[in-house]
Amino acid sequence: MTNHSIQQLAHQNDSTFNSNGLVARLAKRSIFRNTRRTVLTVFLISCSLAAILFTDSFVRGMVGSMIKISTQTFLGEGQIHLQGFRAANDIDLYIKNDELLFQKLDAIKEIKAYAPRVLSGAMTSSSENVASAIVYGVDAIKEAQVSKLKQAMIQGNYLSGLEGEILLGNRLADLLEVSLGDRLVVTVSEANGGDLSQALFRVSGLFSFNERNMDNGMVFINLSQGQQLLNIDGVHEVALRLEELNQADDKSLSFWQELNTEQLETLRWQALVPQLNSMLAMTKYSTLIVSVIMYILVALGLINTMFMSIFERQTEFGILLAIGTRPKQLFLQIILEGFFIGLLSVLAGLLLAFIFCYWGSVTGIDYSDIEMTGMTLNEPIYLILDVFSFAQMGIATLGVIVIACLYPAMHAARLQPSFAMRKTH
Amino acid sequence: MKNLAEITQMTEKNSANKQTVIESKLLCRHFGQGDTLVKALDNANLTIEKGEFTAIIGPSGSGKSTLLQLIGGLDNPSSGDVFLDNKNISHMTGTQLSDFRRDHIGFIFQSYNLIPVLSARENIEYIMLLQDVSTSERQKRVDMIMHAVGLEGLGERRPAELSGGQQQRVAVARAMVSKPSIILADEPTANLDSKTGADLLDMMKELNEQQNMTFVFSTHDPKIMERARRIIRLVDGRIVDDERRD
Repeated sequence: MTNHSIQQLAHQNDSTFNSNGLVARLAKRSIFRNTRRTVLTVFLISCSLAAILFTDSFVRGMVGSMIKISTQTFLGEGQIHLQGFRAANDIDLYIKNDELLFQKLDAIKEIKAYAPRVLSGAMTSSSENVASAIVYGVDAIKEAQVSKLKQAMIQGNYLSGLEGEILLGNRLADLLEVSLGDRLVVTVSEANGGDLSQALFRVSGLFSFNERNMDNGMVFINLSQGQQLLNIDGVHEVALRLEELNQADDKSLSFWQELNTEQLETLRWQALVPQLNSMLAMTKYSTLIVSVIMYILVALGLINTMFMSIFERQTEFGILLAIGTRPKQLFLQIILEGFFIGLLSVLAGLLLAFIFCYWGSVTGIDYSDIEMTGMTLNEPIYLILDVFSFAQMGIATLGVIVIACLYPAMHAARLQPSFAMRKTH
Repeated sequence: MKNLAEITQMTEKNSANKQTVIESKLLCRHFGQGDTLVKALDNANLTIEKGEFTAIIGPSGSGKSTLLQLIGGLDNPSSGDVFLDNKNISHMTGTQLSDFRRDHIGFIFQSYNLIPVLSARENIEYIMLLQDVSTSERQKRVDMIMHAVGLEGLGERRPAELSGGQQQRVAVARAMVSKPSIILADEPTANLDSKTGADLLDMMKELNEQQNMTFVFSTHDPKIMERARRIIRLVDGRIVDDERRD
């Protein structure tokens, strides 16, 4: 390359920087011409972005809480039954060779704990009243590793394995008008024949899951006594606790296939409570709808601001065009003004969102006793901050702002200089 | 009052053997239609040569500003053609017109019309930035023109920090610094006191004589008329008189 061409190239680079830099400089300075309006616009956009991110974090937290509540309270992240048990709800369909299954479960590293159960519809009778309930026979130690039954105890003692112990929900106890130590008769139909079987229990403890259906309609006895009462030598259900909750989302994990055989049906929580799964999917759509509404408001607000700014500066744009500014340079200037306002708004919005979401993730939002799709949110909802979501929403907001500026920018670029100057004079 | 044919003939005769920078042929600008039709400019034929110091005069609404806007490419004629430096600008696209105005025409407006967010120095170098003139050349030219118009030491001030006269000097410097073929000035002294206006006109006259730059004014100001070497009179959108004082 000759010296001359190097000089030409250097001059070209310098010149390119000049004209682009000029447009950027004008855009940057123009946004602070009407500081109050710019601040209000930034405030509107940043609050909208913060609201979207807060909603998103809240929904993530709520989804997490609902899954946690649903799976950790009693359900487990998965359950094993004999094929056909769930469909027929027939107590005759129980897993007979349970010891073999337990050995298999012990060998699966993804399974943290499991709880064998027998269950049947039952009639519970006290000296004062009668009520129907589902009686569960559970292994006291294993059940404590899977469900929150032990933590839910509000009176008396948890199961110790002794014969005659029974745990009742506080609401059922109220209905039956029993308290600790009172006698209770449980009547069930035996398996393999359907003969009635009765046993006498003494109320050893009361629990409250803070969920109406459970507190009203469940009683727990020891597994061995349950098997004896139902006259079975196996279990109806094995609830699984996994090492990680998200392992339930991964159908490709080999143990899901291994535990689904001709005899056994193993389902993840998504299949066990499909209504919760549908509700969570719907929640994600509602976040999307809220986001779209917010973005439309942001876009309209910004279009309004940009048009006000353009109409105020119409003479100036006329002058800029008159002295040789190309329409596309004016177009670029308006887009850049929007971009700079957007950048400020996004930074402020992300900061605002971080402060509120962080606060929500530490203190939680108390929704105690509020029931949703048959589930009581019995612990605060802790917001979940998602960096990817913050980045995604920030970029989307900036994109919406730039798109919203296209119309005002086109309007400015199409101005005829004489008209623009005459208009404001 | 002379008729159109006489004026056209006179203009053509006067322009013989000189370099024409502005030429309009049967230039019309009409607004509205039917009963509300307003003929702001009607069949204006005009030729202006290089180095002229011309004033277009006439009562309000006579079409002075419209003529200036049409020959400056700021508005589109209803019919007729405008030639600037022998190029027909009447059918140029927006970008072509912008480039043409940037490289060939300097504008001075009544209300100064500086860019408020740029300093005086940045306002002056604005057109050169659009022209991609190198930094060193820009600095050299801005320093020279600021010295010529008496704005030394005021370069970093924003328009709001300058007096009316100083702002109009910046506008003159901005119009001239890119060395255009023509400078079009729409009532440049209207907002200035008489002394400031006279000083500014003397400065422009001096630049016109020194650099042979073409000036066309639209004005009511007697001070401009006194200094103009040619006066074109407009009435009701028609050129009714074209007086030379060579």
